[in-house]
Amino acid sequence: MTRPQPRYRRSLGDLSERALAFWLLVPAGLLLGLIALYPVLRLVYTSFFQYQLTLGPEASFNGLENYATALRDARFWNALKNTSLIVLITVPGALVVGLGLALLANLPFRVKWPVRLGLLLPWALPLVFVGLIFQWFFDSQYGVVNDIIVRLGGERQFWLFRPDLAFWAICFTIIWKTSSFVALILLAGLQTIPKELYEAAEVDGASPFQRFWRVTLPLLTPAILVALIFRTITAFQTFDIPYAMTKGGPGNATETLAMYVRVTSIENLNFGYGSALAVLLFLLSMAITVVYLRYVRGADE
Amino acid sequence: MKKLFWLALAVLVASGAVAQQATRLRVFIGGQQRPDVMRKILDAYQQRNPGVRVEIEVGGATSDQQQQYLTTVLASRDPSIDVILIDVIRPAQYAAAKWSDTLDKYLPAASRANLLKQYLPAYAKANVINGQLIALPSFADAQFLYYRKDLLEKYNLKPPTTWDEAIKQAQTILAGERNPNLNGIGFMGNISEGTVCSFLLPIWAAGGDVDDDSGKLILTEAQARNSLQFWLDLMDKHKVSPPNMAEKAQDTIRQEMQAGRWVFGTLFAYAWNRFQNDADSQVKGKIGVVPLPRFEGGRSASCLGGWQWTISDFSKNKAQAYKLVRYLSSPEVSKVLAIEASNLPVFPSLYKDPDVLKANPWFADALPVVQAARARPVHPRYPEVADVMRKALNAVLARTKTPEAAAKEVIGGLQAIYGK
Repeated sequence: MTRPQPRYRRSLGDLSERALAFWLLVPAGLLLGLIALYPVLRLVYTSFFQYQLTLGPEASFNGLENYATALRDARFWNALKNTSLIVLITVPGALVVGLGLALLANLPFRVKWPVRLGLLLPWALPLVFVGLIFQWFFDSQYGVVNDIIVRLGGERQFWLFRPDLAFWAICFTIIWKTSSFVALILLAGLQTIPKELYEAAEVDGASPFQRFWRVTLPLLTPAILVALIFRTITAFQTFDIPYAMTKGGPGNATETLAMYVRVTSIENLNFGYGSALAVLLFLLSMAITVVYLRYVRGADE
Repeated sequence: MKKLFWLALAVLVASGAVAQQATRLRVFIGGQQRPDVMRKILDAYQQRNPGVRVEIEVGGATSDQQQQYLTTVLASRDPSIDVILIDVIRPAQYAAAKWSDTLDKYLPAASRANLLKQYLPAYAKANVINGQLIALPSFADAQFLYYRKDLLEKYNLKPPTTWDEAIKQAQTILAGERNPNLNGIGFMGNISEGTVCSFLLPIWAAGGDVDDDSGKLILTEAQARNSLQFWLDLMDKHKVSPPNMAEKAQDTIRQEMQAGRWVFGTLFAYAWNRFQNDADSQVKGKIGVVPLPRFEGGRSASCLGGWQWTISDFSKNKAQAYKLVRYLSSPEVSKVLAIEASNLPVFPSLYKDPDVLKANPWFADALPVVQAARARPVHPRYPEVADVMRKALNAVLARTKTPEAAAKEVIGGLQAIYGK
């Protein structure tokens, strides 16, 4: 004989489960609102004001004036150009190098940890630290890069204060630092690809190149996309490495948007204009993310 | 167990009551400003003022790093810091942002004038913004021409008084020594505050300035171009500075001079003690110091540095903070700072004080330099002014801009800040 299930218990259980879920999510929601949403909204709000502490502590509404100023500001366009070039060069650069590293790390070595440690190390180093290390590497007088060039019979180069060389030195450093992050994501992706597929491809007579092109790459696409999204967003926000290596110099030749935002707000105390610049940077990152996500959804369907 | 709890609670309440009784003041200073010496000075103050406890908050090592943190604290109107030690370039900014409690409300006009008369005139001037007294000086600083006494003596040369002499002497010594590691004239050229001083020195040495007493921009494009050209010529024409001056920070020059690699160096006062006292110094006893050279027909000028005490406008203990600031900017404390931290005094009389001279014999030579030192432009938007000037010199030294083009940008940039 089965005991009749009391009805109320079930419906109440259902309700409380929903309520429970709601109440469990509330703290996270509040926290997210407080630390993510509020600052962003506040930033947008501030960007509509003439608010520069060096002219006095009062803020006055000036609509879209800050944005109009940005569009006329040669330094903004210069920073935007530098930032875009860094994105265009370091994102594909890190992807190619990272893919190579991931494939290397995925090889069936008997001792796996040295390769994995090598992958983790650049990723674990703080950005500023990397910038300072490479500043020394590229120092024209004491740097190891010039030392090697001179030993090989070459000419001393002024890496950090020739605008083109400084730019490439910065890109090189960013790729060195970020390709390990890409490699870690891709390595995880590689390990989800079943071995049987490779065996089947081999039986069908596929060459190693065909196996990579037809099996590895298509199955790795989701991981590649994830890596690209993260890498692109952080590339738009590039700050630490050029700040440590050149401070944006020579002149403003290697200044990125994030660096210009910092100088405007923190040094010049022009919070209104600095906020407008930050909003523009935010919109740019958002736009890129939306494009990627669209693409991901398209690929899924 | 219960007893223990009540006991603990009682202790807590009692200690809270004690803490309530004493006024707590919080003083902010930078990491390079000898917090150990400052602690001693404040301990002495606490002994004399039993009701007051003073804590020290130590910030970053450079003026920029400190201000970055202070900007966050002050822009959010945080009352936790009462008294702040600020760089000589900042009072105008603090006045404009209304971050400082003006000291005039505690000082009637007559006693203010009396007080300010005692300090080196440059500091009395630097701390009065639009007629309001924003801060009081703690210690002085200025740029000096450091030179290698041994090398100049070897070639029978007297310390230079004009830049032409300095260049010729450097060329003579470099030609005679044939040492590939030895360089002639060291100056700051990277993107930093020191490079602002580099930009200004030739302008002052030729008798010019950036703005006049009424705050009007008077710098001409020709003056700016001459300054930029002057430093470029040291590298390319006179060959007394190596071609990579665009990456030289002040402390790089100091380290290299300490390793015996410069004949001349334009550095602030801190370098002296490092040259004389650092264990790895190759130049102990071989360094002399003179005022910076002038141009023919111009005047010798140095870049004024130094640190000032100001009261945060968000402090909750302003009256007590004022008392503390008066103590910290007194001759007594200036003397302690001179002897224990080798900080240049802000009172002219202390440069002749036997105790001070015993600890720092070279202070006797320093007084004329500090007295002739010029203040960088006093402007609420000084960080922007500085950015225009240091970026221009840095770009010229990196040879990405000609002095003509960079001078045009300097004037354009400054006009945008000053308003025409």
